[in-house]
Amino acid sequence: MRHSIALTIGPASFRIGSAWPAPIAQLAHLYRAYPTPPEGIADFTVRLEPSKPWRRHIRPSIHITGDHGLADAAPMALAHGLLAAEMGMNLQMALGWRRHLLLHASCVEKDGRALVMTGESGSGKSTLAAQLGERGWRLMGDEFALLDLHSGQIFAFPRLISLKNAAISVMEAEAAPDRFGPLLRATAKGDIRHLSPRADAVARMAEGAMPALLLFPRYGFAPEIRTVGQGEVFMRLTQASTNYTALGEPGFTALTRFVQTVPAHAIDFPSGEDAIALVEQLWAEAR
Amino acid sequence: MTVPTRYRAAPATDLIVRALDDITLIYHRPSSQTHMVASPVPEILDALRTTPLTAPLPEREGPGVGSERSEPPAHATQTPAQILTTLSTHFDLGDPATARPVIAAHLEEMVALGLIHRA
Repeated sequence: MRHSIALTIGPASFRIGSAWPAPIAQLAHLYRAYPTPPEGIADFTVRLEPSKPWRRHIRPSIHITGDHGLADAAPMALAHGLLAAEMGMNLQMALGWRRHLLLHASCVEKDGRALVMTGESGSGKSTLAAQLGERGWRLMGDEFALLDLHSGQIFAFPRLISLKNAAISVMEAEAAPDRFGPLLRATAKGDIRHLSPRADAVARMAEGAMPALLLFPRYGFAPEIRTVGQGEVFMRLTQASTNYTALGEPGFTALTRFVQTVPAHAIDFPSGEDAIALVEQLWAEAR
Repeated sequence: MTVPTRYRAAPATDLIVRALDDITLIYHRPSSQTHMVASPVPEILDALRTTPLTAPLPEREGPGVGSERSEPPAHATQTPAQILTTLSTHFDLGDPATARPVIAAHLEEMVALGLIHRA
C-alpha cells in the first residue's frame, strides 16, 4: 500500500493501507492522540484499494478489503474514504475479534462504572453517548462495547464517533472544531461527520469498568421508562453481539452474568435533553 | 398395548441451566447452542434429572422407591406418565388427560434439541 497508518484503539490495533493519501491524512489528524501498536504489529489490516486498477485516477472508487471481508461490500466514492476506513475497522472487529464478547452498543463511564446503551441504527445511542461524553462522562465507544469474559468488566473501543444527519449539528455545538472530520454528504446512511473522542477518553481507553446499567434508547417518542425482563435482555444482547455464537460457553457464561447483575430499562425520548435527564435519573437510582 | 417411550436427561455435564427472572436459559455444550425455554420445559428437565428413580416401573405408577435394580446410569429413564406424576406433585397441571399430550409433545421437542434422549 502506498499510504498507511497504524493505530491502537482500546485493546485492538489496526494497520490501514490506502492507494490514496487523503483518507490516511484524515485518519492521522483525527486519531492524532492514539498510540501506535507496540512494535508496529497490528491485530487487523484494512486496505482501501481501487475497485478496478485504472480507477485510482479516473472517477476513483474504493473497495474495502482486509483480513476478514464481505464479498458483496459495495465500492465507495473516494470522497468517502474516511468512512470506508472506519467501516473497514468495524468490519474487522465484528468478524474477527475473539478476546471479548462484542456488543453492538455505545458505552460511557462515570465513577468506575459503565452505562451500556444498545439499539438499532437510528435509536439515538451513538448521539447520546457522544453528548454524555462532553458532559462529565468518559466516552468508551459509540459502536462496540467489549465485555470481558472473565472479569465481567466492559472495555472501551473508542474509535471516531460517527455522527449522522441531525446529530452533526447537535455535536458541532458541543465540541471544538478541530475534533471533527470532513462532512461526508450523501453516503448510504445520509450525511456523516466523524468526531474524535475527548483526549482524556483516549488517554484512559485501556481502563475497564464494571457495567452498572443497561439502556435500550429509542429516539422520537414521548418520554417513558420501561423495565425490560431478563429474557428479553438476553435475547436482544445476543442479537446485538457479532461473536456470541463463535465464543461458545465462555460467551454464554459472561452474558448470563451480565444479564443477571445489570439492571435494564428501555427509554423513549423526544430530544437529547430529555434523554440526558432520563439517563441521569436512572443512573442515580442504579447507585 | 404398545410399550411407552422412556426418556433420560442428557448427562449433567452436557447442559448449563441458568434461570433468569422470566425464562430459563439452557446452554447445550455438544452443539454450542443456547436455548431459551419457558415452563414446563425446565420442570420436565428437573423431573428427569433429579427423581431418584432407578427402575422401569409399570405405567401409571408413581416414582418408585426402594427399587431392586443395580446401579443406575447417570439419570434414570422415565415414561411420560411417570414424568406427569412427578410434575403433578409440585404443580397444578389440571386434567391429566389434557396435560398428557402436552407433556409428550414437549418431551419430543426436548429430544430434538438434545436436552433429553429416548432411552
